[in-house]
Amino acid sequence: MPKSPLLRPLRYAWDYLKEISGENAYDRYLAVHTATHPGKPAMSRGEFYRWRQDYKYNNPGARCP
Amino acid sequence: MNNGLRRYGVWVVVALVGALCWGMLALSRGETVNAGWLLFAALASYAIAYRFYARFIQNRVLGTDDSRATPAERLNNGRDFEPMDRRVLFGHHFAAIAGAGPLVGPVLAAQMGFLPGTIWIIVGVILAGAVQDMTILFFSMRRDGKSLGQMAREEIGPVGGAAALIAVLSIMVILLAVLALVVVLALAESPWGSFSLAMTIPIALLMGVYMRFLRPGRVLEASVIGVALLILAIFAGGWISESSSYAGFWTFTPNQLVFALIVYGFVASVLPVWLLLAPRDYLSAFMKIGTIALLAVGIAITLPPLQMPKFTEFASTGAGPVFAGALFPFVFITIACGALSGFHALVASGTTPKLIQKESQVRMIGYGAMLVESFVAVMAIIAAAALDPGVYFAMNANPALLGDTAQSAAQAVSGFGFSVSPETLTNTAQNVGEESIIGRTGGAPTLAVGISQIFSAVIGGTALQAFWYHFAIMFEALFILTTVDAGTRVGRFMIQDLIGNVWRPFARTSWLPGNLIASAVIVGGWGYFLYAGVNDPLGGINQLFPLFGIANQLLAAVALTVGTTILIKMGKLRYAWVTALPLAFDAAVTLTASWQKIFSSDPAIGFFAQRAAAAQSIEAGELNDTMLALRAESLDDARQILVNTTVDGVLAILFAAMIIIVIADASRVWYGLIWGRKEPEMSETPWEESHLDSEGNEIEREPVGAGR
Repeated sequence: MPKSPLLRPLRYAWDYLKEISGENAYDRYLAVHTATHPGKPAMSRGEFYRWRQDYKYNNPGARCP
Repeated sequence: MNNGLRRYGVWVVVALVGALCWGMLALSRGETVNAGWLLFAALASYAIAYRFYARFIQNRVLGTDDSRATPAERLNNGRDFEPMDRRVLFGHHFAAIAGAGPLVGPVLAAQMGFLPGTIWIIVGVILAGAVQDMTILFFSMRRDGKSLGQMAREEIGPVGGAAALIAVLSIMVILLAVLALVVVLALAESPWGSFSLAMTIPIALLMGVYMRFLRPGRVLEASVIGVALLILAIFAGGWISESSSYAGFWTFTPNQLVFALIVYGFVASVLPVWLLLAPRDYLSAFMKIGTIALLAVGIAITLPPLQMPKFTEFASTGAGPVFAGALFPFVFITIACGALSGFHALVASGTTPKLIQKESQVRMIGYGAMLVESFVAVMAIIAAAALDPGVYFAMNANPALLGDTAQSAAQAVSGFGFSVSPETLTNTAQNVGEESIIGRTGGAPTLAVGISQIFSAVIGGTALQAFWYHFAIMFEALFILTTVDAGTRVGRFMIQDLIGNVWRPFARTSWLPGNLIASAVIVGGWGYFLYAGVNDPLGGINQLFPLFGIANQLLAAVALTVGTTILIKMGKLRYAWVTALPLAFDAAVTLTASWQKIFSSDPAIGFFAQRAAAAQSIEAGELNDTMLALRAESLDDARQILVNTTVDGVLAILFAAMIIIVIADASRVWYGLIWGRKEPEMSETPWEESHLDSEGNEIEREPVGAGR
């Protein structure tokens, strides 16, 4: 990625979107998992999302109208 | 001196700009005021409040401590507890608190002129709404993310706790009914709107399959596909509405839509979440942020003049055709979201407190996100007030007053003291691609017309106005359906939990019979009010919206009472006014509104006055003068009014009783604490040292003694 000052806001927006949509939650999980439990098999991307999603919707938070 | 000037100089400028804008709003004598004054009055006020008042609350009142580990850090499990970047958490929290509420309430309140609503939105958020969100967020965070109900039970007592629980459940039902009513009123007789909203279901299913099986977890890809298909669906709706063969198929009566929504709500609650709920959540979140940003840009570019007067006569007479009742208390319950909304206390004591990295961030996330929501409400009021007031009243008055034709509507509007020509009404309808805009109550269509005028002034001109109108309708309906889905689910879990206390297996959320029964109870609850609202001869929005507002502000009273109690327990009695003053105001508003809704002898306002008139008419076998003045047309109408007003009146009594019980129970606790007969029992989690820096990175520290 060229480090042009024009692209920096776009890059920032993209990273923000990835972060807020939970797209890179798996990457973070994987990094933590390999660091703390080396050698143990980690969940696949699909498994991880299912695990998080099931938890989220079985413990629903309220939200405002 | 020089130092002080450098530090506060910019704030003096902000204060002067704010004062100038407020002055222009208050004193301008011209025909119209430009929206820019309103926009900058709001922004300057927010900036000063955030810099000074929120910081005062953070440092003096709450005493946030960044050396203390938050639950996100202590209990990090990568799922519900996880330190989240403050900017990302801000986005999540904002998406959870801002829905259709801040868009609908201000539009309805605009009938009293734009100034009462604007002042309440800005002053209310600074002194009450944002304070509530921030303090509840902080207190819940200090208690490992306990819910408002749990805090009420622990800090006040079982009576207050039970009242809070009942309040939450009944609000949920009324809230879902009112929101669904807004959707029904916006889509009725509109093939374009119905088609594009119906298309969101297959789009969501497709996204669900994509994220589950085709490309697991690729949320952004699925969302991009979803948004693109959504835009296509809006264009396709335009072709449908022009085709003579399909338009009829997609044109629904209000009662058909009620039935469809009830079936939809039930199915959505029973289906696995990955198929419908989760993809819809993503779709609606992206649409929400995108549209709000677009609206801000659109208003900033066009800076429309506000054609609505500052005050209309309805502010003092209380005889407004949109909803009945005088400025005090009804502006303050009609505009909840955007100024003070009790519902936020549920969000602030739900997922958000479990994700905060640093205690001091409650200011940005709790106070800041609420300021942004308030700004959304200001934009909604600008969009409504920029409309021709004649068009506004022709869209929002009770349809029974307006009649069916453009001529009768124009005549009715001149009866309200405004003027509009029948041609303007038909032209406006034509421009937005609808058959008619007369009597399209509920706020959403009005806002959509306002938004379409603003957007089409920037992109596309009149050619695209119909697209923008349906874009706005679709975006509000999508929000609302997402809330209906999620609310039904929350309500279902509450019911399962409640019955589970008596009979264990019912509490298991994976047990299908329990799921079906609890879903049916919740959907049946809001479905009943939705049906009653759609068929209410007195106008569903006119009857149900005040009830919804009272319920929402009742929850705010519970939250502020909990906040005040905890402040006193923390030994911060001298700062307890920070939550106690908004509580006093909120209680005054809610109780006055309930009082008028229950006891007013004016049949336009009081439920029981309406009920008496209906009962008398039924007994006499013909409609009496009061019923005729309310535009009831037959004895069947009177029977319907009898049933509806009984239910609504009983609910109003229930809500008022809840407020009194919670505040009385808390006063008992306050009395014991202040006059020293009771030792405060704090349920805060004990202090633990944080190992994160302000950016959330692990810090290596020299081993030191317990440094506090």
